[in-house]
Amino acid sequence: MFEHIDPRSSTPLYAQIAARFRVAIAAGELRTAALLPSVRELAARLRVNPATIAQAYRELEAEGFVEIRHGAGTYVRELAPGRRTRERARQAKALAERVLADARRTGVTLEELREAIDGVLGAKTT
Amino acid sequence: MFRVMLYTQWKWSRLIILLGTVAAFALPIISMQGAAHAERNPLEAQDLLRTVQSWGTLYPVLAAALGLFVAMAAWAPDHRGRHVHALTLPLPRWRYMLLRCASGAVLLAIPAAAVLAGALLATATATLPPGLQSYPFALATHFVLATAVAYGVFFAVSAATARTAGIILAAVGALIAVQVVAGVANVNFDIVSPLTMIVLGPAGPFAIFTGRWMLVDV
Amino acid sequence: MTNVIEIDSLHYRPGKGFALRDLSIHVPAGAIYGFLGPNGSGKTTTIRLVLGLLRPQSGRITVLGDRMPDDAPKILARVGYVPEQPHLDPTLTVDELLRFQAAFYPTWDGARATQLLRQFDLDGERLFGRLSKGQKAKVMILLALAQQGELLVLDEPTDGLDPVVRRDILAALLEYVSQRGAAVFISSHLVHEIERICDWIAVMDDGRLVTEVPMEQLKNGTKRLRVAGAPATLGPTPFALFAREPATAAAETWVVGEWKPEMAGYFPGIGASLQDVIDLDLEDGFVELLRSFRGGRSEGSA
Repeated sequence: MFEHIDPRSSTPLYAQIAARFRVAIAAGELRTAALLPSVRELAARLRVNPATIAQAYRELEAEGFVEIRHGAGTYVRELAPGRRTRERARQAKALAERVLADARRTGVTLEELREAIDGVLGAKTT
Repeated sequence: MFRVMLYTQWKWSRLIILLGTVAAFALPIISMQGAAHAERNPLEAQDLLRTVQSWGTLYPVLAAALGLFVAMAAWAPDHRGRHVHALTLPLPRWRYMLLRCASGAVLLAIPAAAVLAGALLATATATLPPGLQSYPFALATHFVLATAVAYGVFFAVSAATARTAGIILAAVGALIAVQVVAGVANVNFDIVSPLTMIVLGPAGPFAIFTGRWMLVDV
Repeated sequence: MTNVIEIDSLHYRPGKGFALRDLSIHVPAGAIYGFLGPNGSGKTTTIRLVLGLLRPQSGRITVLGDRMPDDAPKILARVGYVPEQPHLDPTLTVDELLRFQAAFYPTWDGARATQLLRQFDLDGERLFGRLSKGQKAKVMILLALAQQGELLVLDEPTDGLDPVVRRDILAALLEYVSQRGAAVFISSHLVHEIERICDWIAVMDDGRLVTEVPMEQLKNGTKRLRVAGAPATLGPTPFALFAREPATAAAETWVVGEWKPEMAGYFPGIGASLQDVIDLDLEDGFVELLRSFRGGRSEGSA
């Protein structure tokens, strides 16, 4: 889940980590009441500053995805119905924006992009 | 803290302590060799004294060797690590030195006790010719003092930086070299003798090494 | 928030040539403070001064509230140190080294020491001198962690070690920091490692401090800009201008620090246009920072 966190990216590490958790929660990989790894354990596993993990967890709590219970750990909250769908939609939008920005930078037109997507999808079904 | 210092000191110097203890125990016994006969005449008393005296010259050598090697063993690991470990331990330098010095001294008590044990054994199993007395305690005390002086001096030299120790040894070596050259060139230049008198003479710190090391005497 | 290490206007000159000049450093409690700099910039000397191994000519060094080197023994009881070169007796076994160390620190945690021995896969009965470089480094960090100090001072602890050992050491270090809330002062030239774990960063060059800032500020604030139409001479800029070079016929590349997105508005004001903002990772930022620092000093301008 955390293989690609990149300290050199312009996105701060805590934001990258929080984003991974958001994806997992939206996809249902982390269900309601699931326990997130402790700050200590995750900091050691990812070899990042524990303050970074703590900040990621705080951001997730502020957004309403998790609940930090002091002494007990951080748990995934029960999400309101449709929240998961909305979160997935938000992530899809971010993904699309990224792809389109890359395409623009490399000079790929919208048509060429559509063709490529169809090609990839087509190849998958055959 | 002292316990672990003693442990490491033992680990570094156990060979020299063991060998030294064996030698320290054997020396009085060997020096009294042949004295277990029942009959003795005055001529043989002279022989005994001569034997005891000639073997006796080995005591100061043993004392100096023990002092030197235990002192060196105390500091060699520190020098190798450039004292970083010792200097980052949470105790003042002088306390560290004291603990090191004391642990070496405790170990040196072993060969000193061996001298006493050997001397007592040697004099107990021997029949002394009339007019001669044994001085096992005096001998053992003499040995302890000589070991202490040797250990103290070599400890101080080893504890100094390698540079200082090198300078001292180089100076001594230079003096000796000058003296040798002067002697060869037949020049009447004597600096070593007066210095030696001061250092090794009866009033000097090394006087303890000279003198008679007699287990039995008149 | 108190500082675990405070250095004020430090001057240290051991002899001819190299000197530490006017050094001022502040390490906040609980921070992981990275100390970056090229070789010979004075990192190890600074660490030696912080540990009381050297005495400065002038300036103050305060560690955990007490003065160095005057109160050294009192302070060192609460500081775990991992030097660059192995400093332990090679003729002792790992167990003997642990026992020796434990006798000097009342806060020693034997259970943690045993657990770390297992975690690092070390054989307690092996002689220290017979261990590999990585195993020696693990032993040294084990001693520092089992001591339970409030401050850890690490001098290039993972330099020259293979990636697996580096991970093990960093993981143990971070676990300790999370649990104990200890502060870490770590010098390294492995920029990518520093980037991951440090929340503060100081850069040294040739005995002087170049900058001391929170990590995010250095990383996010340093950018490469593509600028077109800028005049040859500039007035004061809202950001720190490190370098300015022609890139194409029409545009220049500017390397800037302390950048904020709002500053884009500066360019129309000087009749220029900002074409692109490119992120610089810490390594590039570090290189640019040094370049501008050295260039600024030689030209005599800020």
